[in-house]
Amino acid sequence: MAKQTLEELFEGLESVIGTMEQPEVSLEESFQLYHRGMELLKSCNDRLDKIEKKMLVLDDEGEMHEFEE
Amino acid sequence: MVRNAYTVGQINAYIKNMFTQDYMLSRIYVKGEVSNCKYHTSGHIYFSLKDESGTIACVMFAGQRGGLAFRMSNGQQVVVFGSVNIYERSGTYQLYAREIRLDGEGVLFERFQALKRELEEMGMFSEEYKKPVPKFARRVGVVTAPTGAAVRDIMNIARRRNPYVQLILYPAQVQGEGAKESIVRGIERLSREDIDVMIVGRGGGSIEDLWAFNEEEVARAIFNCPVPVISAVGHETDTTIADFVADKRVPTPSAAAELAVFDYRQTQERCRQYRQRLGSLLERNVQFTRMRLKGYETKLGYLHPGNKLKENRMRLAELEDRLRGRMKEKIRTSRQRLEIYIERINGLSPLKKLNQGYAYVQDESGHALKSIRQAEEGKKLCVHVTDGVIYARTEQVKEEHYGEADAGGII
Repeated sequence: MAKQTLEELFEGLESVIGTMEQPEVSLEESFQLYHRGMELLKSCNDRLDKIEKKMLVLDDEGEMHEFEE
Repeated sequence: MVRNAYTVGQINAYIKNMFTQDYMLSRIYVKGEVSNCKYHTSGHIYFSLKDESGTIACVMFAGQRGGLAFRMSNGQQVVVFGSVNIYERSGTYQLYAREIRLDGEGVLFERFQALKRELEEMGMFSEEYKKPVPKFARRVGVVTAPTGAAVRDIMNIARRRNPYVQLILYPAQVQGEGAKESIVRGIERLSREDIDVMIVGRGGGSIEDLWAFNEEEVARAIFNCPVPVISAVGHETDTTIADFVADKRVPTPSAAAELAVFDYRQTQERCRQYRQRLGSLLERNVQFTRMRLKGYETKLGYLHPGNKLKENRMRLAELEDRLRGRMKEKIRTSRQRLEIYIERINGLSPLKKLNQGYAYVQDESGHALKSIRQAEEGKKLCVHVTDGVIYARTEQVKEEHYGEADAGGII
């Protein structure tokens, strides 16, 4: 399966929370949903890159190098 | 002859109608040199256009002044867009201007209108082809000049909103000879890199400066680009073909960066809220379940067989108590009755009578002596008193009558 985008992950979270808000959800389901939500959050966190980026420049040879102001 | 004469009003109205019905005269571009230009206090502008061959009277009404972006003066070469119609009051025709451009610019404007119409008819501006701009792009392509305000604005805004998003610049030539080829190459090259969205644009400038973004090749490159394209050309008011064909149009390069680069802190905050919500929802369910459990526990407590047993045991003890009580009562009343009987029997005992001086007399054979006839003289008798028996012999008998009373064996 292709990696989910943040947008898809957030949609997943909305849906998990929406289901958890239903009054008839059992405790077992609730735990499963919570677990699923936490996994989604972890994926979100993984997707939220924390490495600061310098702007790259693509030249006509298809090479990338750092942009110098 | 007099009968065939028309009034001035009639003929002018007739000619006006002819002009009005003419398709070409209602939307026409006319170019020439400005003369007799007068800005009237009412806001209307009166002027003439002339060339070597002649002249035409023109007016731009105050309401149309939006179509004029410069101060008009005599001697300028301009292209006027508008309609030719009759002014009935003087019986002259004139050009009613809606847009006025300096010539050169005028030619470009015409080309712009023509290409815009053509591409629009081909459906290239159609909503159904527009790809949505991803909300959380990780890699953003930028096609613009490597120097100037546009690239700097994009970099600054991206750094402020989210320094973790990778920007990849294709340093394009955005104006002059070779600009359109450079922009097209940039779009194509960048679309082959792994990017989520692309910004194509430049800062403000004259219509000539922006012209590359009105070229069909650029429009097609944007249209064919598999990655969503945000166009950001010039300032608020500039509109190019690129803007119409792009997936999303924004007024400035800064606005493009705002759109393409998601806000990191906001997104983190969103994650934090999700985490909190998940936690509190689970907690809520646990609490609720615990409450239900408590309820069942209480209910089950009532229903436990031990409880039934205890209850039965209590009932048993109670029954036993009652039984004992009844039995005691019975014994007590029986004993009472017995005492009463004893009392009564005592009352009836012959010994009691003997006590009072009476005696019980039997003949020899043990029969109770009731009559003198049973006790002839010399006959042995047994006399019972309270403390024993006296054996006696009859001395004498004498008959007596006591009414009907009969002592019955008692002397």
